[in-house]
Amino acid sequence: MARKKRNKVNPDAVVRQLMNIVGEREVLYLKEDLISYECDGYTMTKGMPKAVVFVKNTEHVSQVVRCLNRERIPYIARGAGTGLSGGATPLGGEVIISLVRMKRMLHLDLDNRKAVIEPGFVNLKLTQSISDKGYYYAPDPSSQYACTIGGNVAENSGGAHCLKYGVTTNHILGLEIVLPNGEVVEIGEDGIPDQPGYDLLGLLTGSEGTLGIVTKITVKVLKNPEGKKTVLAYYDDINDASQAVSEIIAAGIIPAALEMMDSIAIEGVESAAYPVGHPLDIAAFLLIEVDGIAAGIDDQIDEILTVCKHNNVREVKVAKDEAERGLWWANRKMGFGAMGAISPDYLVQDGVIPRTRLPEVLIRIAEISKKYDLRIANIFHAGDGNLHPLILFDARIPGESERAAKAGSECLKVCADVGGSITGEHGVGIEKSAEMRFIFSDEEMAAQTNIRAVFNPDDLLNPGKLFPQPGRCVEVKQG
Amino acid sequence: MNAEENRLAAMLNSEKNDTPCQTKTLGNFLWDDLPDATKWADCVHCGMCLEACPTYQETGEEQHSPRGRVYLIKAVAEGKIDVNDAFSKPVFDCLDCRACETACPADVQVGGLIEEARGQIRQAMPLTGFSGALSKTALQGFFPNQKRMKTLGGLMRFYQKSGMQRVARKTGLLNVMPKHLKEMEAILPDVGKPVLGRYPEVVPAEGETKQRVGMLAGCIMDVMFSDVNEATVRVLTHNGFEVGLPKEQGCCGALHVHAGDRETGKRLAKRNMEAFKDYDKVLVNAAGCGCALKEYHELFRNDPDMLPLAEEFSAKVEDVSKFLYDNDFKRPKSEVKTKITYHDACHLAHGQGVRFEPRQLLKDIPGVEMVDLPDADRCCGSAGIYNLTHPEMAGALLDRKIDDVPDDVEMISMGNPGCMLQIAMGVQKHGRSEKVVHTVQLLDWAYEKDKEKARKSIES
Ligand SMILES: Cc1cc2nc3c(=O)[nH]c(=O)nc-3n(C[C@H](O)[C@H](O)[C@H](O)COP(=O)(O)OP(=O)(O)OC[C@H]3O[C@@H](n4cnc5c(N)ncnc54)[C@H](O)[C@@H]3O)c2cc1C
Ligand code: SF4
Ligand code: SF4
Repeated sequence: MARKKRNKVNPDAVVRQLMNIVGEREVLYLKEDLISYECDGYTMTKGMPKAVVFVKNTEHVSQVVRCLNRERIPYIARGAGTGLSGGATPLGGEVIISLVRMKRMLHLDLDNRKAVIEPGFVNLKLTQSISDKGYYYAPDPSSQYACTIGGNVAENSGGAHCLKYGVTTNHILGLEIVLPNGEVVEIGEDGIPDQPGYDLLGLLTGSEGTLGIVTKITVKVLKNPEGKKTVLAYYDDINDASQAVSEIIAAGIIPAALEMMDSIAIEGVESAAYPVGHPLDIAAFLLIEVDGIAAGIDDQIDEILTVCKHNNVREVKVAKDEAERGLWWANRKMGFGAMGAISPDYLVQDGVIPRTRLPEVLIRIAEISKKYDLRIANIFHAGDGNLHPLILFDARIPGESERAAKAGSECLKVCADVGGSITGEHGVGIEKSAEMRFIFSDEEMAAQTNIRAVFNPDDLLNPGKLFPQPGRCVEVKQG
Repeated sequence: MNAEENRLAAMLNSEKNDTPCQTKTLGNFLWDDLPDATKWADCVHCGMCLEACPTYQETGEEQHSPRGRVYLIKAVAEGKIDVNDAFSKPVFDCLDCRACETACPADVQVGGLIEEARGQIRQAMPLTGFSGALSKTALQGFFPNQKRMKTLGGLMRFYQKSGMQRVARKTGLLNVMPKHLKEMEAILPDVGKPVLGRYPEVVPAEGETKQRVGMLAGCIMDVMFSDVNEATVRVLTHNGFEVGLPKEQGCCGALHVHAGDRETGKRLAKRNMEAFKDYDKVLVNAAGCGCALKEYHELFRNDPDMLPLAEEFSAKVEDVSKFLYDNDFKRPKSEVKTKITYHDACHLAHGQGVRFEPRQLLKDIPGVEMVDLPDADRCCGSAGIYNLTHPEMAGALLDRKIDDVPDDVEMISMGNPGCMLQIAMGVQKHGRSEKVVHTVQLLDWAYEKDKEKARKSIES
């Protein structure tokens, strides 16, 4: 077989301009180098970017944005690409601006409990780099091993421990942003949270990369809690588990985390990298953590144990040491990826429901599962009502991807119907833009697109995301 | 040649061959020994592996991450991209360190998939030019050939003993060598004589025989670190094991499989399977070789005749540190007073899941003080011959590894000769003084002290 030479594709004029700004090796433009940027953690929709540009500093971002503006080429910011709604996925032809090489910590000020980092800083690394000094960064999405804090800001990410401590937006003190015209602005004065005037920090956080590119972030860091205890409770009946959750919250306890997994989800994590040995014949387990001043913890744990027992728990136990606690959490945090061990593909949904409606919602999800003949696992941030149905499918079987997408959409409809929402933490992106209609009227959406137009008048920055495109239905391609 | 022509050519070739299974192709994978589609089907694209991957940490490029590599391989199988240079680069830049496999919640066998894809690339684009020649001589000429390896060892011994080394180092003769080779030369260990052939084929146990075990001497290990092999034999026999060193054994083939030369890999695998057929345990003190032996069944996954034999063989293979720990090794009584840290060889920690046992072996030696090495299981950049083929990336990883070594340790212990060479090079390059040792060597020193004491007490 003849040896194949490097494909003779020469960079076009725009790519050459980008190379002049950031350097030749910092721009990818060959098909083989681009193809793995076709999608993020959401694989149902794919599109080829025109190029990927690696920026090293704010000046790069600003110049790249100006250049693309001039050339009228759309562009997308990208962190680690772990997003679950297609936020960093091209529709086709965009330039991806990758922020992963901007990963320095610029300033650490523990006296004032804040850190200034670049957007490519990986979430878990922040806690790791300050833990020896007794501090941590609270928002802990399960993807924290890989996702960037820039991506967290864009998605306003949550995590298991956000029940007590709040999601990303509650931990952002200031941002530096490159606006779609290339201008660099700082919002939120250094460490002073409540500025007079509009809450621009709140607006930018969760804007899914459609208002500006974040190039610098000032975050709050917290002192490690004095003590921490974790409870695991196995239930034969999901109604009992839900009732226990409601009673714990009603008792006035605010656990640091309160998580639930159903039997299919348990089957997944037990077949994956960190099996705990959970019984496979239970209906659900609850993972409950309390933290704070050491003195109060034992009382809270006693109260939780009482509530669990009173609600017909099969078995309930407190983690005996840090190793056991760590294993329980690793097992839980692998939840999504673990679906790979029991299914070739999965689609994760991200609904929010009033906590008390859980049993009824689960029944309706089971009906959807039957209707589409696809298994659905449920992972639930039970404390704040954020439900993740995981629809298991095999993209290689013709028609299954489409069925999964439909089943997912129906799950969201159920959430909206019971008075909830279509996204808790994963964002709308491409995936749920059509479902925005479940909760917003045309007027409400127009109000929001008007805000976008103030920042991003030509819609060159991350176009086609967040709001339904008039007359365009999202195309589902084989995963 | 475009994809269509490629496919046609492959079909024409297969018609000539008239073996029916030869016509099988998978998208743009057109060559023999096709990659395993179930391996990429397991990947759910979650990205949990990204930060575990040294090449992603260094570059931040998706195609240089485990997720990206799996995606690219799948894209070839789906006919979206061709097997060409741009595909080959990320596949060959992988260290095969398997850190991603530890991180992956879905148990995707990224390493195996990469090796299979390399097999396709090497058949599609045989190596030419200088690098091809280098790789051919080293991989096909030396490693599989016990005699030539020994000659090489002999030459090196001559070079070191004769004073040529001193002359070369002094006169700056070395300055004509590329930088990374020079650094390598500076730390070449004092070469002893290989164990294989010098030791009897069966070394009896001290005292009562608990069990017969076979031992892989390895090629680099036996030529460069014959002292480690000697120590391993002493430690095993001291623990009551009869050690078999069958002469027919040879190179494990790992380097060939990593380089995409699966045919040579299979040939070497068959030789070892034959050599150790009378043993139910095959012990290995080189993590890379151990991992390769344990994966012989992966090599023969498209060969239904060989597969069961390979599976049976792989099940017999074990790392020497794990074997000793599991078999209640004799706790030494004499002190070896030293402060030591332990580096996890990729093919031990990620490849074989052995992390705890070697550390425990060290901790059970009186006087040994263990200090944690941060990120102990991050690749040191050795990765087989990666440090020769990718000096830049390997050098960056080595610098990080040495920076992580705590200031006050006297020794760095590990279970793989490739890492030993690489880390010794780092210690030298950074002007530090830590001694690089194999875990088993430390145990050996403690036992030797025990024996010495016992001798003295008999004498007195
Ligand atoms: C296994 C798994 C578990 C997960 N668990 C959780 C969870 O528990 N909670 C949760 O909230 N999410 C979770 N996610 C979703 C995802 O990890 C988060 O949305 C995360 O914040 C994305 O970060 P990223 O760096 O990967 O961003 P990307 O996926 O690269 O980008 C996400 C969006 O942010 C934009 N963006 C990225 N960087 C910037 C920037 N610097 N400036 C402006 N816009 C930017 C992109 O354009 C895109 O729209 C999970 C994902 C996976 C795969
Ligand atoms: S084997 Fe190592 S270098 Fe290769 S993809 Fe996995 S983590 Fe990266
Ligand atoms: S962690 Fe495993 S499943 Fe997830 S992207 Fe990496 S290889 Fe795929």
